[in-house]
Amino acid sequence: MSTATVPTRFAADFRAICGAEHVTEDPAQMQAWNILGIVPALAVTPASADEVAGILRFANEHGLSVVPAGGFTRQQVGNLPPQIDVLLFTTRLTAVEHYDVGDLTVGIGAGCTVAQLSAMVAKDGLFFAGDPAQPGRSTIGGLLATGLYGPLRHGYGGLRDYCIGVRFVTGDGRKGKGGGRVVKNVAGYDMMKLFIGSQGTLGIITSASFKLFPAPRQTRTFVAFFPSATEALQFRSQVLRSPLDPICLELVSPQAHELLVPGSPAGAGWSICVRAAGSETVLARYRTELGPAVVREMEGANEQGFWRALEDFSLLAAERHPRSLLISMTLPVRDVQPVLNEVSAVAESNHFSFAAIGRVGIAHLLISLWQAPDAEVSLVSFVNTVSGLRNRLPRDVSMAVLHCPSEARHHISAWGPMPTDLESMRAVKMALDSKDILNRGRFLF
Amino acid sequence: MPVNLPGLVEHLRKIAGRDAVLDRPEDLMLYEYDAGIRKSTPGAVVFPQNTEQVSQIMRLATALNVAVVPRGAGTGLSGGSIPQEGGLVIAFSRMNRILEVDVENQRATVRPGVVNLQLSEHVAHLGLYFAPDPSSQKACTIGGNVAENSGGPHTLLHGVTVNHVTGVEVVLPSGEIVYFGGKAAESYGFDMTGFMVGSEGTVGIVTAITVKLLRKPEKIATLLGVFESVDDAALTVSAITAAGITPAALEMLDGWTLRTVEAFCHAGYPLDAGAVLLIELEGLREAVEEQAVAVTEVCLAQKAREVRRAKDEEERALLWKGRKMAFAALGRVTPSYYTQDGVVPRSQIPAVMRHIGNVAKKYDLTIGNIFHAGDGNLHPLILFDMRNAEQFERVLSASTEILEFCIQCGGSITGEHGVGMEKRDLMSRLFTEEDLDVMISLRNAFNGRDILNPQKIFPMPRMCREITGPSQNPVLMQEGM
Ligand SMILES: Cc1cc2nc3c(=O)[nH]c(=O)nc-3n(C[C@H](O)[C@H](O)[C@H](O)COP(=O)(O)OP(=O)(O)OC[C@H]3O[C@@H](n4cnc5c(N)ncnc54)[C@H](O)[C@@H]3O)c2cc1C
Ligand SMILES: Cc1cc2nc3c(=O)[nH]c(=O)nc-3n(C[C@H](O)[C@H](O)[C@H](O)COP(=O)(O)OP(=O)(O)OC[C@H]3O[C@@H](n4cnc5c(N)ncnc54)[C@H](O)[C@@H]3O)c2cc1C
Repeated sequence: MSTATVPTRFAADFRAICGAEHVTEDPAQMQAWNILGIVPALAVTPASADEVAGILRFANEHGLSVVPAGGFTRQQVGNLPPQIDVLLFTTRLTAVEHYDVGDLTVGIGAGCTVAQLSAMVAKDGLFFAGDPAQPGRSTIGGLLATGLYGPLRHGYGGLRDYCIGVRFVTGDGRKGKGGGRVVKNVAGYDMMKLFIGSQGTLGIITSASFKLFPAPRQTRTFVAFFPSATEALQFRSQVLRSPLDPICLELVSPQAHELLVPGSPAGAGWSICVRAAGSETVLARYRTELGPAVVREMEGANEQGFWRALEDFSLLAAERHPRSLLISMTLPVRDVQPVLNEVSAVAESNHFSFAAIGRVGIAHLLISLWQAPDAEVSLVSFVNTVSGLRNRLPRDVSMAVLHCPSEARHHISAWGPMPTDLESMRAVKMALDSKDILNRGRFLF
Repeated sequence: MPVNLPGLVEHLRKIAGRDAVLDRPEDLMLYEYDAGIRKSTPGAVVFPQNTEQVSQIMRLATALNVAVVPRGAGTGLSGGSIPQEGGLVIAFSRMNRILEVDVENQRATVRPGVVNLQLSEHVAHLGLYFAPDPSSQKACTIGGNVAENSGGPHTLLHGVTVNHVTGVEVVLPSGEIVYFGGKAAESYGFDMTGFMVGSEGTVGIVTAITVKLLRKPEKIATLLGVFESVDDAALTVSAITAAGITPAALEMLDGWTLRTVEAFCHAGYPLDAGAVLLIELEGLREAVEEQAVAVTEVCLAQKAREVRRAKDEEERALLWKGRKMAFAALGRVTPSYYTQDGVVPRSQIPAVMRHIGNVAKKYDLTIGNIFHAGDGNLHPLILFDMRNAEQFERVLSASTEILEFCIQCGGSITGEHGVGMEKRDLMSRLFTEEDLDVMISLRNAFNGRDILNPQKIFPMPRMCREITGPSQNPVLMQEGM
């Protein structure tokens, strides 16, 4: 492992900004916080947006590279950082800025975890629609920066739909904001959109405001199995054309089903899981409308557990198959079928097996690929699998490699081609972080 | 402006065609205003027919340092499409084709000049529609909707324009043609599409737009809640939200406005009511029926005098006619009106409505209210006569006082009409210098010389006003607005 070198004289400056107890250089701790083997020089935990601004201004002046960190659940994703001078934790930024129960809005510090926020609003019968893996550790800032989502995306929209305000400090140390705390607002540029999915490369999010939703009184999950992905996707299209508006519409491949529901038979087939919210009358209508294809209904703890496991799919897959690839793709709905065909073909030719889940009404797929038990799989196979897939994807598909064996990271770029003009994205980056101090080398530039 | 105008016009004709440029004063007069209160005469108007022409025009303007303002239908209410005196207007009425309807992906790709309602009409036979529905939807363009991030009555449930745009083709001030996003709902990389929407044409010119199409709901229920007072109606709005029901639309008309509307178009609003709420629910038949019962209960608990439900499509259309024709109705009773667009948290609607009442008294003005109550998005309409300069000063003071109250409540100065020129000086009440500096650095990354839509959004050291009546806008007159 390599160790970064920040001359210790800087540590004193950071202590002056955030207080001595909030700056650490402890070697063992730094080692534990390595990112893909790169060990940070020091870690700071500021208590306010002003302190964040102080740190970033200082880092900017001295050209130090800074990595924002929340719950640290997703730090191994992205390209290899050349060096990490400062690891900046948001975990002390947890203040509630506003909580308007009657308005169904909340504003909260970026270091608050998703589970904390959900628990806070659940007391009032409200519901935060972000559903990342590991909600107990994932922070609001990390959720926004990675821009990912889980199965609830189908019914509640994505972060870009319900994040109504954001406060941040730019890479060059300016405090900024976009939006506010009302659900409709077009004053000034929509900074939320730029920061969601920016992978921490434009600024450090210090707090954000969201629309909340009334918590559904009851939900039910209807599961239908099919012998092939094609038939499952036909059923998906039938649901999309029907008057039903479920809160989740998820495809689960046979191997994925086995991961999620331990002990379930491998040959069960491809399933479509439809989660509905509503009264008994409404649920009865779902039953009629979905018809005889549904062979299982889940409710209560059983249902909760299933969706919880589904949200944690990436972890379950990585635990079961440590030497695996985890691929995330956003794509037009119609491309799901052809893309799954490509995945299957590429997997087969490289002797991989795969498990896939996805919100196929949106569409977003998560695919885990691992070497078949009896196959001799080398580093090259991992590289070939990724490049094979990237070469075959239709135009509007974008794909990220969220996880791969660590030795393959040097050869596999985390991000592939994107539909959005790269030079325009670079112009945005230069406008907010011209010295490229934030997450240097890890995302686009 | 130190530009050889005849030379510029000659160049423009070479790019877009001889008949595609206007430069005679009598023609230019039609492009002096939008639906707001300012005016300014451009030096020329050009009508490009494709993206390549837009790119060449932009290159030319940048080389000559001529200010450019894109223009859709000119229905904007914030001065967004007001040109620089002597500058160039790029009008999109000839880039008005629907390029593609992709049923399976529920997407359409359109040119910016496509009129909002035309798209929904075009895909209606497929059971699809485009959700953002500004009340000006018969006239306004999708390019204008994208620039302003427009809303409408039904954006309460479905979201505003940005929630329905997944990709754009853009001509940057440099003349370069770039693409952001595509048909996928989201993609890796910065969300430049989301950033473009609502940037009021200050970052680039949108030349093609990929939008989501929604499926028409199985069931729609339209209710009219009749109240004795604005206060009761206002309390009902927050009670509906608090009860966990999100209607598709939730609009309020106060007593003065509903009487003015009723006299004009006979929508069936009770003349002696203090306020009405127009509430629409949509979705699965069973769910809509349950919600209709729940909403009725909430209304009655909040002292509604009665709750009517439209029996059929005809009755529904009539109830909506009143809402949609309101601006035209107003035109009959006043020479001019100034529309504000502030937003408050929904629980503050009762307070802000009382405040507006007090402001009207204080400045001795008539203020009607017809607005997107479900989002807390106010539209106080302040009546005035432009020949009365002293009165107009009171109008401006009154509207500033209303917007300041919105800011104090934690709200915003604009929910859907944009900042444009009219509210740019209020931006510094909402944002710090540093907040604005960050936004300006983003604008400068693309539009560093402020050549595209100059002097919009951000505060100016000094501003001057000119007044026009909204009824002068030919597009609006033609559409009966
Ligand atoms: C293998 C894997 C697969 C995953 N798959 C999914 C999935 O399918 N769906 C899903 O919803 N989530 C997924 N997650 C992601 C994870 O659960 C969430 O993204 C989580 O919200 C990250 O939060 P965190 O606080 O742990 O952030 P960290 O892991 O600490 O940081 C994640 C990234 O965000 C940046 N960042 C963190 N905080 C801020 C801030 N305040 N301002 C700016 N940048 C910041 C960091 O620099 C880093 O680049 C996956 C994670 C992993 C490891
Ligand atoms: C009676 C009436 C009712 C209204 N109701 C609503 C309502 O319910 N909700 C609502 O949100 N608004 C409403 N409006 C305001 C207005 O209709 C909207 O803002 C509309 O989106 C403007 O569209 P337009 O085509 O008229 O644009 P214009 O007024 O021509 O232009 C608006 C702005 O967009 C820019 N622009 C236009 N085309 C492009 C392009 N291709 N690329 C980049 N920038 C471009 C212009 O430069 C300008 O800044 C209403 C207006 C009226 C008169």
